[in-house]
Amino acid sequence: MINLTNIEKVYRTSSIETLALNNINLNIRKGEFVSIMGPSGCGKSTLLNIMGLLDEPSKGTVELDGQRVSTYRDKELARLRNEKIGFIFQSFHLINDLSVVDNVEIPLLYRSTNGKPRQTYAKEALEKVGLSNRIKHFPKQLSGGQKQRVAIARAIVGKPEIILADEPTGNLDSAMGNEIMNILQGLNDEGATIIMVTHDENMAKRTHRLIRLFDGTQVQ
Amino acid sequence: MIRHLFKLIWNKKKAHSLLLVEIWASFLVLFGLTSLIVYNVRNYREPLGFEYQNAWAISLKSNEDTTELAQKIEMVLQRVKAYPEVESASRMSNNFPFSQSSRNNGIDYNKKHVLADFYVTDENYAKTMVIPVVEGRWYRSADSVGKYSPVVINRKLKEELFGDEKPLGKIISERFKVTGVVNTFKSKGEFMVDKPALFELVDAKSPWNDLLMIRVKPGTDAVFEAKMVKAITTMVAGWSVEVDHLTDSRKTTHNLTLVPVIIFLIVSGFLLINVALGLFGVLNLSIAKRRGEIGLRRALGATGNGISQQFISEILVLATFALLIGLLFAMQFPLMNVFDIHAGIYLTAIAISVVVIYGIVTLCAIFPSRLAARIQPAVALHEE
Repeated sequence: MINLTNIEKVYRTSSIETLALNNINLNIRKGEFVSIMGPSGCGKSTLLNIMGLLDEPSKGTVELDGQRVSTYRDKELARLRNEKIGFIFQSFHLINDLSVVDNVEIPLLYRSTNGKPRQTYAKEALEKVGLSNRIKHFPKQLSGGQKQRVAIARAIVGKPEIILADEPTGNLDSAMGNEIMNILQGLNDEGATIIMVTHDENMAKRTHRLIRLFDGTQVQ
Repeated sequence: MIRHLFKLIWNKKKAHSLLLVEIWASFLVLFGLTSLIVYNVRNYREPLGFEYQNAWAISLKSNEDTTELAQKIEMVLQRVKAYPEVESASRMSNNFPFSQSSRNNGIDYNKKHVLADFYVTDENYAKTMVIPVVEGRWYRSADSVGKYSPVVINRKLKEELFGDEKPLGKIISERFKVTGVVNTFKSKGEFMVDKPALFELVDAKSPWNDLLMIRVKPGTDAVFEAKMVKAITTMVAGWSVEVDHLTDSRKTTHNLTLVPVIIFLIVSGFLLINVALGLFGVLNLSIAKRRGEIGLRRALGATGNGISQQFISEILVLATFALLIGLLFAMQFPLMNVFDIHAGIYLTAIAISVVVIYGIVTLCAIFPSRLAARIQPAVALHEE
């Protein structure tokens, strides 16, 4: 599904060169639930961004469904992100000026889904995460756990094959974290491939595979 | 997407209220300015109705002299006509073209009442000022023997009084008989609106109407002017004589119209530049504040161009809100016929102002939106 070969990522400024990822080789199979762990600054989010086509590696190749994406243009990458990948972030990244349902509809806007079906799909996604009674609310009126469930609904509304979750439980208490983890496991059971960055060993233990990074290098 | 943007703008209406007011106020100022410009341009494009080149106005002031004034004016007129440099000369009331003086009166016909500019002239006025007569003929001195005073009207007065009716031979205000129709006569210059006008035959025995209009041959200079003035002052001792060249008077009249327009233009220009800079700053700030949202939208499938278009569309939606409120005000002008100006002028001004406002906001949004398009999604998401 996702194949990373010899991935290297270097951040350069005028005076400093930082090696964020070094020779990462990784193959994520369809339907897997993979967690990535490691200390802060070890390159977990960078790796997730590269897998999510949000960032380009300095070296190496990224293949998605057997196709090398390095030659893809911005438009094609955007289409792939929109259709194949769903993102969940630690800080939720909800737009405060839009209602819950409008937030969830955003991925569908970029594939030009019409208003009525767009709203139907968004409501279905919200129902799946147990928030169908909060569709008209605004993010500021929700708790952290509810916000993350909205973010999950937004990630799954377009029915992507891959879900990339960057510390989805990082801002939540353990009860809320478990609840979110249950939802992710449910999605995985339905066939979604999930790659999750986490600091929490207990959460990582609930996934199929654990990848450990240290100083940009894969150690496990 | 447009619906999504409308929702986004609507939900942020409090934050955008100052920006809305700024765009709304700019639109109204621009509407005022463009109305003034369209009004003047429209007037300018209509024919003046006479030729001002080589035309001089000679004002005669009798001062202390009170005897036989009419005969003396006639004597001066005949003397002036006799000069070989003078192609044509005519006597008229003191509201000569481009002068600051005006005279008007009501005209009645068939229960219609129209306010018209009055010009009292002799039979040579049309020839002197090169005024084409489009219907009938210019009056002659011999026409004064009848019961009614002969008059020539302009097309505007004809339309307002008679509509499709033939005006020639008609009696108006129970004392004038129409002998001819001229096209336009804009005595205050090209920027004057074409108003109803009436030319009435001067009474040769009247001591009033002591202004002489002359048309001199091209190239006639100040030497002749001095010679002529000296001759007149010798003929009518104690009178003062003043000569106005219509080309100079025209410039003065034009300045009276153009200077306020230019001042308004400069003030409005500064205002619009300030608004543009303000918009530019606000948009830049907005993009800096919304980096996280930009990163998110890129992650969810927006292209760089899509982000750029979104920011431009947002400001266009905002401008549309402001313009809709502005239109509520601006539309009152044509609907209520404010200042008695043709509705077409206001509507043209509205259209121009709308286009200019959209142009300005688009220009202001282009650079910040391009900046937004270049934001790296991974970096923006990480910053949040």
